[in-house]
Amino acid sequence: MKNNSNKITLIYFVILITVVFLTQKIFTSYSFSSETNSIITTKEIVIIVLSIVLFRYFLYVNEKHNEIVLNKLKKSNQDIIESKERYDIVAKATSDTIWDWKIDNDAFIWNKGIQSVFGYKKEEVGKGSNWWFERIHPEDSLKMSVRLYSFLDYKTDKWQDEYRFQCADGSYKYVIDKGFLVKNKDGKIVRMIGSIQDVTKQKEEEQRLRLLETVITQTNDSVMICSTQLNENSMPNILFVNSAFENMTGYKTEESIGMSLDILFGEKSDNQHTEELKKCIREYQVCEVETICYKKNGSVFWINFSMIPVTNKDGEHSHWISIQRDVTEVKEKEKEREQLIRELTKNNNDLKQFSYITSHNLRAPLSNLTGLLNLIDDIPIENPELKELIDGFSTSTHLLNDTINDLVKAIVIKDNPSIKKEKVPIKEVFENVFNQLNFMISLHKPILKIELEEEYISNINKSYLESIFLNLMTNSIKYRSTTTQLKITISSKIENDELIISFKDNGIGIDLEKNKDKIFGLYQRFHNHPDSKGLGLYLVKSQVESMGGTITVDSKVGKGTTFTLNFKKQ
Amino acid sequence: MLDKVFCIDDDPITLMLCKKAMQRVDFAHEIITLQSGEEAISFFETNSNSPENNDIPNLIFLDLNMPLMSGWEFLDIYLNRGYHKIFTKTSIIVLSSTIDPKDIEKSKFYPMVVNFLSKPISKEILQELKSKL
Repeated sequence: MKNNSNKITLIYFVILITVVFLTQKIFTSYSFSSETNSIITTKEIVIIVLSIVLFRYFLYVNEKHNEIVLNKLKKSNQDIIESKERYDIVAKATSDTIWDWKIDNDAFIWNKGIQSVFGYKKEEVGKGSNWWFERIHPEDSLKMSVRLYSFLDYKTDKWQDEYRFQCADGSYKYVIDKGFLVKNKDGKIVRMIGSIQDVTKQKEEEQRLRLLETVITQTNDSVMICSTQLNENSMPNILFVNSAFENMTGYKTEESIGMSLDILFGEKSDNQHTEELKKCIREYQVCEVETICYKKNGSVFWINFSMIPVTNKDGEHSHWISIQRDVTEVKEKEKEREQLIRELTKNNNDLKQFSYITSHNLRAPLSNLTGLLNLIDDIPIENPELKELIDGFSTSTHLLNDTINDLVKAIVIKDNPSIKKEKVPIKEVFENVFNQLNFMISLHKPILKIELEEEYISNINKSYLESIFLNLMTNSIKYRSTTTQLKITISSKIENDELIISFKDNGIGIDLEKNKDKIFGLYQRFHNHPDSKGLGLYLVKSQVESMGGTITVDSKVGKGTTFTLNFKKQ
Repeated sequence: MLDKVFCIDDDPITLMLCKKAMQRVDFAHEIITLQSGEEAISFFETNSNSPENNDIPNLIFLDLNMPLMSGWEFLDIYLNRGYHKIFTKTSIIVLSSTIDPKDIEKSKFYPMVVNFLSKPISKEILQELKSKL
């Protein structure tokens, strides 16, 4: 700079000398004065020097001024760079999406957030405000635009709104958008700058929490939150109760908060249980008790009371959560039920005893009668009338004996749930049955077809099973068709973990429409057969059920009958 | 054929039946009927010093349901007094019209009880018994 000034000063000096010299020359050539030989006078030299000093001073002043302006410029330039840097850092640090809207020409600029947060590609991002508005959720856009334009009208500085903004993939994110206005000197709005914050996670968490909260506030179970601080009675203080607690106990929320858990207990409360509760509280253990509690009005009720310790983020016990249920009704029903069961058991035992005694008292003289008849058999009777009478007497006695024996069997089955159970080969059972029915089988010669897919039946009482098939077999022979030869098909198979035995005949059948409910009943007869007592199927069903099985029947009059037995396979 | 059989029952018809049936199949040389458990107990009481006596029965048919002393009470006294160890040749068969399955189970508790039969006793059963004993 200095050099520059010196150069300029030197040039100025040369020009000045040259001008003075030239004017001198012109003047001398035109005036022809006497002092022609003097080149430059002292006076002129002084003027030149003065002029140079003056010039140099002006240059100096000018230079100084320039320096100040330059420094100012430098500083403001530095400020701009720093501010730009700060902006870049902030823009990087924040996850916010920033937009800049020049309102006059509707130019809309987005920062990179529109790509990173919402997934738009650079070329997809629109250049106007419409692009922004179009991506606001239809349910939010009307409200949002009303608020935005009223803000623009009132010209306040700040604006904030919450809405859903559409992502590139079509999904919506919850955002908070904050904006401010930039005005020109005349106060006219020229720009609006905003930053969009993605609050989807917070929003979802908020909704989840609100949902969870409804569980606590809306549940029929009484919910209580207690602090971990205990009173002098080792009971924690109440921090929160829900409305179910209010309804259950009669204590209002504002009355309960700050009170201790003691308010629920009284002299009728089970001491053992309250001690257990205190122990759990001391040791931060989960606890569940059932005890008598007191309402605000002093009335008692049964409560099911559970307490769960809750820890904070650092794993420290921070609260107790307690859930309570009024179980008075359940308790009362339980008592009633117990009473009822006691009575029923007693009645049942009495009846059982009664039936044993009765049957014994019937059987004792009856066994004498049969014994006497057996002895008579050996004595020849000459008188035909006496013989006829004794035969009738004998038949009736044996029939009575059979009936009573059947009834006795039924009683024993009903009363004997813990019968001996074993694994039995099905074939062996049938062999025994056929042996016992040898006479009937050889007389009527039925076609027997046996198809056993499953050879064994486990967990069964052999003599019951024999009795069941003896009964079914006898029925098939008794109620055979008079026109076609009797055919009996017996099959076994496994289906859905059950053993299914089917027993099918082509006999006269049973009218199921009429007799559906009665078929397995006691003393139900469906045919007018002299031997029929109506006990067989009742016994069969009792025996099947006592072994945990089921029996069903399918039958058509004139076509035949099928009995299906199901036993759980183990 | 057995030497001596006792029938203990409060019902005279049952006793008569028993006796007749046994006679038909030649079950025993001597059949003695007793109408109560007490009678039988006093018999064993008097003979407890001479267990080899010929009067001691080989077999007793015992009814359960009797007034005063039931068959169970008889068995209890018999067991408590150790008669089952004294009269080693004597076996007992319960002959009853009971249907209670618990009774059969209960009878197994007494070592001298060898069988549990249902009334009435028949010639067939007696013959089978005879062949076994």
